[in-house]
Amino acid sequence: MRWAIVRFPGSNCDEDARFALEKAGIKAEYVWHTERSLKGFDGVFLPGGFSYGDYLRAGALAAKSPVMEEVKRFAREGRWVLGVCNGFQVLTEAGILPGALLANLNLHFTCKEVGVRVERTDLPFTRLYQKGQVLRLPIAHAEGRYYADEETLARLEGEGLVVFRYAPLAGEKDYNPNGSLHDIAGIVNERGNVLGMMPHPERAVDEVLGGTDGLPLFLGLLEEVTA
Amino acid sequence: MPRYQATLLIELKDGILDPQGRAVEGVLKDLGHPVESVRVGKVLEVIFPAETLLEAEERAKAMGRLLANPVMEVFTLEALKELP
Repeated sequence: MRWAIVRFPGSNCDEDARFALEKAGIKAEYVWHTERSLKGFDGVFLPGGFSYGDYLRAGALAAKSPVMEEVKRFAREGRWVLGVCNGFQVLTEAGILPGALLANLNLHFTCKEVGVRVERTDLPFTRLYQKGQVLRLPIAHAEGRYYADEETLARLEGEGLVVFRYAPLAGEKDYNPNGSLHDIAGIVNERGNVLGMMPHPERAVDEVLGGTDGLPLFLGLLEEVTA
Repeated sequence: MPRYQATLLIELKDGILDPQGRAVEGVLKDLGHPVESVRVGKVLEVIFPAETLLEAEERAKAMGRLLANPVMEVFTLEALKELP
């Protein structure tokens, strides 16, 4: 299995993405955002960072990059697309996932570990988790407040497209770190092959990094091929 | 070819909470201004060539549609003028 990691000007979690994929046994290669082909790849990872300095809106300019046409094709063809943090913002700006990520309610750049509940486990991304399991994953963003209109939210909930939701860690009261509607931390498309999430699973794949709760997400992808 | 300058205004839709606007509102109130509310938007000034005013208007609107996120924003072509 071979994944592409797209580098935009300002990506800064690209090496974390590679570390996580390779740790799970998935081959990973960097692809510059001006590339027009992702031929030969099984999946594409849009990493975190500050593409184009978050100018205009987070992810807005990256969403118009040449490579995104190919990412859209990937999504349509049912191949794997994972967008984390800025990558999630790029996916919504490109219209590949619905909704938008707005400025955190507290207006702070928030960098900490949060609780993330797994809402479904029938996806390759989540098959190695238990339903209802609360993961400890780091977040690091200023614009992570998930927003969508009522109709879209109802559709997401009705079709079970919310994969990850912020949830309290032991004794925690204010567990929603950014004001996301419905505590949404990550969503998937109808087909189940495109996942966007604000927390960073790739930064939680080794005890040295403070935790390993993100590793099963990548291991689950690998199983998809070998299963 | 004539050159035009378009002023595009991109704002959050009504009803979408604008924390930047809230923060600015708080500061203005703290300084004693009787402010009801503040919304923060973005102004883009774009200079480009076009054959006619009509073509310039269509192009400016197309750029607005490209740059505003329809999920949460609206854009307005605030001004369009031919440059000398």
